[in-house]
Amino acid sequence: MNNVKVSTKNVNVHYGTKQALHRVTLDINEKEVTALIGPSGCGKSTFLRCINRMNDLIDICKVDGSITVDNEEIISDEVDVVSLRSKIGMVFQKPNPFPKSIFDNVAYGPTIHGIVETKTDLEEIVHSSLKRAGLLKEVKDRLHEPGTSLSGGQQQRLCIARAIAVNPDIILMDEPCSALDPIATATIEELIDELKNKYTIVIVTHSMQQAARVSQRTGFFHLGELVETGETQKIFTNPENEKTQGYITGRFG
Amino acid sequence: MFYWSLIIILLGIYSAYIFGKSRITSNSRQLEIKTASLPTYYAQYIMVWCLLPALIVYFGWIIFEDQIIQNLVLANFDFDLNPALNASLLIAEIKNVALSDSFAEGKAIEILNAAEHYASIKYVSSISFYLSILIVMILGVMFASRKLQPSFRAQQSIENYVKYFLFFCSSVAVLTTVGIVFSLLFESLRFFSDVSVFEFLFGTKWYPYIPIREGQSGSQGSFGAVPIFAGTFLIMIVAMCVATPIGLFTAIYLAEYASPRVRRIIKPLLEILAGVPTIVYGFFAFVTVAPFVKTFGQSIGIDASPTSALAAGLVMGIMIIPFISSLSDDVINSVPQSLREGSLGIGANKAETIKRVILPAALPGIVGAFLLGVSRAIGETMIVVVAAGTAPNLTANPFENVTTVTVQIVIALIGDQEFDDPRTLSAFALGLVLFVITLILNIFALRIVKKYRERYE
Repeated sequence: MNNVKVSTKNVNVHYGTKQALHRVTLDINEKEVTALIGPSGCGKSTFLRCINRMNDLIDICKVDGSITVDNEEIISDEVDVVSLRSKIGMVFQKPNPFPKSIFDNVAYGPTIHGIVETKTDLEEIVHSSLKRAGLLKEVKDRLHEPGTSLSGGQQQRLCIARAIAVNPDIILMDEPCSALDPIATATIEELIDELKNKYTIVIVTHSMQQAARVSQRTGFFHLGELVETGETQKIFTNPENEKTQGYITGRFG
Repeated sequence: MFYWSLIIILLGIYSAYIFGKSRITSNSRQLEIKTASLPTYYAQYIMVWCLLPALIVYFGWIIFEDQIIQNLVLANFDFDLNPALNASLLIAEIKNVALSDSFAEGKAIEILNAAEHYASIKYVSSISFYLSILIVMILGVMFASRKLQPSFRAQQSIENYVKYFLFFCSSVAVLTTVGIVFSLLFESLRFFSDVSVFEFLFGTKWYPYIPIREGQSGSQGSFGAVPIFAGTFLIMIVAMCVATPIGLFTAIYLAEYASPRVRRIIKPLLEILAGVPTIVYGFFAFVTVAPFVKTFGQSIGIDASPTSALAAGLVMGIMIIPFISSLSDDVINSVPQSLREGSLGIGANKAETIKRVILPAALPGIVGAFLLGVSRAIGETMIVVVAAGTAPNLTANPFENVTTVTVQIVIALIGDQEFDDPRTLSAFALGLVLFVITLILNIFALRIVKKYRERYE
C-alpha cells in the first residue's frame, strides 16, 4: 500500500446556491494513477480543480471541508496558493500552449519560479522535460517555433512537459485526451503510465477504457457524490454499488 | 421633382413586384410545371429590372440636367451686349429671375427673355423626366418578364444581384478614398508649382504670406513644413506618453482585477469620456491645464508660454485614453481563459500571468489600439488650436508654443484668400503629407499585427 498523498474529507462545493459536490471523502495515493469517472456534470472536474485551488478563479465558487496535501491543509486563506500550484501541475482538456515558442513554453515555469540560475541549466530542464513528455525527438530541431504550430497531441504533450518542468509532485489531468485522436491518445496513455513512477497522477476521464488502462485506483462520481472508490480492477470487475455497475456496463451516463 | 419621382419609382417597383408574382404563378399553373424558385424571387427579379433603369435615369438626370439647360440658355444669349458679365454670374442671375419675380425688376430685357427661356426649358425637362422614368421602368419590366418561365432560376439571379450590390457598397469607400487622394494630389501639384517640394519638405521656416503687391515691404513668404511636422510629432509623443500607459493599465485593471460591479461602472464612464467633443477638451486644456503647466514650468525654472505643446499633449492624451483602454480591454478579455489557467496552474501569480502570457497574446490588438490612438493624435485639431497656439516654432521643448498640420490646414482655409494663393493651396500639400504618413503608419501596423498573428496562432 502506497502512502496517501492527497486526502479529502467532507468536501462540499457550491456554485452560488447550487451544490456541486456533496461531502466527498477520498484518499489519493502517492505515485499511482487515480482515475475519476462519471457522467457529465457529476462534479469530477470540480473536484480535481479543488486540489490545486483552481476554483478560486471562479468568484461564485465556495469550497469547504478539508483537503490535505502531504498532510498540510490547503483549504484555508493562509495557504500560499502559488507555491501549492507549483507543487501540483495541471493538464487541461484542451491543449493550451502559450503563444510562445516551444522552448519558452517549457521554460516558463522554471523561469518564474527561479529554479534555474544559468541558461545551460534552463536548457537542461527544458530538454529533460520534453524528453520525459516524449516530445523531444519530434521537436528538438524546432524549439523556437511557436508551440501552437504543433499538432493537437503534440501540444498536449507540450503542456505535460510544461507542467513537469517545475518538478511537481502531483499532476492533475482534466480529460487530457478528449480533444485527441486515438493514436495521440495512446501516446499520452503510455506517457501517463511512465510518469506514474515519479508523480502522483489524478486523471478525470470520460472514457472508461482509458480509466481501466491507465489507473490503479478509480473513483466513480454521480450527481456530485463520490459513489464508490477502490482499486480499478475491482471497480471494473466487481463493483459494490449498483450505480457504478450501471455506469460501467453502459446502462446509463 | 424629387418627391414626385420617388413616389413614381416606389409605386412602379411595387406594381412590378405584384405583376411578377402573379405572372409567374399563372405561367406555372398554365404549364403545370413547378417553378424552379419560390415566386417571390421572380417578383424580386422583375423589381430589380424595374428599379435599376429608373435609378440610372434619375441620377443621370440630376447630374446632367442643370449643365445641359445652362448651355441651352447661354447658347441663345447674346454676350456682346455685356462682355463684362461672367458666364456663371449670368446664369445665376437668370435662374434667380426665373424663380422669383422680385428679382426681375430693373433687369435688362435680354436677361428677362433668357429667364423666360430658362423657365420653359425647365418645364419641358421636368415633364420629360417623369416620362422617361416611367418609360424605362416599363421597358425594364418588359425585358425581364421574358424570363418569367418556371424553368428560370430566379433565386440564383437574385443572389447574383445581391452580390453585385454588396460589391458596390464595399467599393464606395474605396472609390471615395481614391477620389480624396486625387483631389489632394492635384491641388498639391498646383501648390508645388509655386513652391518647390524640397523647400516644403525640408525648409525650417513656415511663413505662409506672399506679398500682394510688387515691392511690398515685408519678407517673401516661405513654406518650410518641418516646424509643423515637428510640432505634430511633439504633441503626438506627449499625448501617447500619457495615453498608452494609463490606457493600458486601465484595461488591465478592468479586464483582470476589477470586480464585475466596478467594471460595470467604470467602462461606461470611460466611454462617455470618448464622447466628449474635442473642443471641450480644448477649453479644459486652455483654462486649467495650460496655466498649471506654466506654473509648473516656472517652478522648475523653465519659462513656459501660456499655451504649450505640453498642455495640449497632456489633454489630448486624456482624450485618447478611452480608445486605448476600451480596445485593449476587449482584446485582453478575448485571450482564452485556458491560457490564464495554464499559467496559474504552473504556479505563476497573477502579475506574472498578465505580464508573460496575457499581454504577449494580446499584443497585436494592443498595437492596433496604440496606432489608432496615434492617428487620433495626429488628426486632432481643436485641442491644439486652443491650447498649443498657432506659432510654427521648430522646437523640442514641450513648454513652447507649437502648431500642428491640422491646425495649419484650418488656418490656411479660413479667411478670404483667393483659391490659387499658395497659402490656401498649402493646406492640400499638408493634407497630402498627413495622408501619406498615416498610410505608412497603417501599413506598418498591419505588418506588425500580421507578424505576431503568424507566430501565435
